[in-house]
Amino acid sequence: MESLLTAIFSGTAQGSIYALVSLGLVLVWRGAGVVNFAQMGQAMFTTYIASQMIQNDYSYWSAFVVALAAGGLLGGLVDLGLMRPLTSRKNSQLLNSQSMRNAIPIIASLGILGILKALAGIIWAGEERGFPGPVQPNPISFGSTNLAITSFDLFVIAVVFFTLLLTTIFFTKTGMGLAMRASALNPEVTRLSGIKVSWVRTLGWIISGTASSLAGLLITPRTNLSPNTLDLLLIIGFTAAVVGGLTSLAGAVLGGFILGYVISFVSVYSAPENVFIAILLFLLFALFVRPQGILGSKEVRRV
Amino acid sequence: MLTIKNLVTQYDSIKALDDISFQAKPGVITTVIGANGAGKSTLLRTISGLERPTSGTIQWFDKELTRMSVEAIVRGGITQVPEGHAVISQLSVAENIELGGLFRKRIARGDLAKATTEVYELFPLLYDRRNEPAGSLSGGERQMLAISRALVSRPKLLLLDEPSLGLAPLITAQIIEIINNLCRNTGLTVLLVEQNANTALKVAEHGILLALGKVVADAPARELINDSALRTAYLGY
Repeated sequence: MESLLTAIFSGTAQGSIYALVSLGLVLVWRGAGVVNFAQMGQAMFTTYIASQMIQNDYSYWSAFVVALAAGGLLGGLVDLGLMRPLTSRKNSQLLNSQSMRNAIPIIASLGILGILKALAGIIWAGEERGFPGPVQPNPISFGSTNLAITSFDLFVIAVVFFTLLLTTIFFTKTGMGLAMRASALNPEVTRLSGIKVSWVRTLGWIISGTASSLAGLLITPRTNLSPNTLDLLLIIGFTAAVVGGLTSLAGAVLGGFILGYVISFVSVYSAPENVFIAILLFLLFALFVRPQGILGSKEVRRV
Repeated sequence: MLTIKNLVTQYDSIKALDDISFQAKPGVITTVIGANGAGKSTLLRTISGLERPTSGTIQWFDKELTRMSVEAIVRGGITQVPEGHAVISQLSVAENIELGGLFRKRIARGDLAKATTEVYELFPLLYDRRNEPAGSLSGGERQMLAISRALVSRPKLLLLDEPSLGLAPLITAQIIEIINNLCRNTGLTVLLVEQNANTALKVAEHGILLALGKVVADAPARELINDSALRTAYLGY
C-alpha cells in the first residue's frame, strides 16, 4: 500500500514536470515543424542563471522570475536569430530539397544545444551543483503515517497545474490563442485572415522556452544542476510528446503524466536503473499500438 | 479599381501568368474564367501576395500590392477565399469566423461584433452549428463558412477561387446569389475565378478569359456568354 502511494504521488509530481517539457516541444513542433533538441539546453542555461543569482544573494523568487523571462527571451532569440533566417532564404540551393529544409532547423537546434552546454561549462565550470527549491522537501504526514510526498512535490504539482490552467485559458479563450491554434493547423488560411503567422510562431518559441525553463527550475532541486543534467528530461519529454500525438497540446500534457506514472511505477516496483529502458520500450509500444498518439489525429483529407 | 499591368508569375522556368493586364471595376463582379491550368488560381494567389510576381504591377486604387506582405494586403481590405472550401476543420464554426476578424479586434471591436452578426444572418445555417467543428460541415456549408470568414474582415475586394468546386448546382446558385447581393448592397468588389464559365458569366458584369497564362478575351460578360467560337476554342464546350 505504501509503495503504491509512493508510486502515485511521485508519478504525479514527476509527470507534471514531464508535461511541461512535452508541452514545450509540441508548441514548437506544431508551429514551426521543428523538434527543438536545444530545448532543455536552454532550460539548463536559464537554471544556471537562477543559480548564479541565488549565489549572489538574490531571493529565490527573483531568480525564479528572471529565469522564466530568460527562458522566453532565449526561445524568441533562437527563432528570430536562427530558425527564421535559416528557413526563409529562398535562393539557397540546399533549401530546394524538402528533406534538407526539414533537417536544417533540427541540426541547428543540436548546434545550439552544443553551444549552450559549452558556454555553461566555460562560465560555471561545469561541475555538478545543487539547486534549491522555495520550500524544504519535508515529508507530509497524515496523522501518524508519513505520506510518500514532500512539501516540495506539492509545490511542483501546484505550480504546474496553475501553469496548465493559464495555458488552457490562453489557448481557448483569447484571440492570440486562437491565432496560435489556427497557425499550427493551417498557416495559409491563417495568413489569408490577416494574421502574421511568423510572429505567432515566434510567440510559440517564447512560450515553449518559458515552459522549459520552469521545468528546469522544478526538476533540478532533485537532480542537481550540470550542463548534462537535463538531457534525460528531453528524452522523456519527447517520448511523452510522441505518446500524446505530437500535434495535440492536451495530448502532450497527458503523455507527460503517463510517462511520470510509468517511470515511478518502474522505479518503485522494479529498480530505478531500469527506468531508461522502460521509457524506450514504452515509446516503441506506443508507436506500435497507436502511431498517431493518444490525442493526435490522422491527417484526413476530403477531396 | 483593381489594375493589373504586365503581370508575370513564374514557377521555376514555367510562366503560369504570362504578361497579364486587365482592370476590375469597383462595386461589381468581374469573373476570370478559363480551363484547368490557365493560371486562374495563380492570378489570385499573386494578388493576395502568396506568390511573388517576376514582373508587372498590381494596383488597388493607388496602392501597389506586389511588394506588400500577405497580411498587409488582407489588412488593406483585400481578402481571398481560397480554393477547396478552405476552412480549418479542427476549429469550430464560430472560431473560423472569429479568425477572419481577429486582426481587427483591437481597432474595431464594435464593428466586428456587427460583422459577425451580419454573416450569421446571411448564413443562418452556420449560426445553428456554430459550436460544431468545421470539419463536420457539408461542402456547401464549408464554402459558406470560408466566405463568412472573409466577410468579417470587411473586405473592399473579395477574391473568390472556384466557389462552385464540388458543389451541387443549387448550392452554387445560392452562394453566387448572396455574393451578387453583397455587391449590389454594399459596394463590394468581387473577382470571381471560375472553371464553371456559364454560372460565372451569368452573374458577372465583366469577364476575362485566360488560356495558358495569357488573357485571350476581355469583354462584358454578356458578350462572352454568347461567343460560341471563344467557348469552343478555350473552354471546350
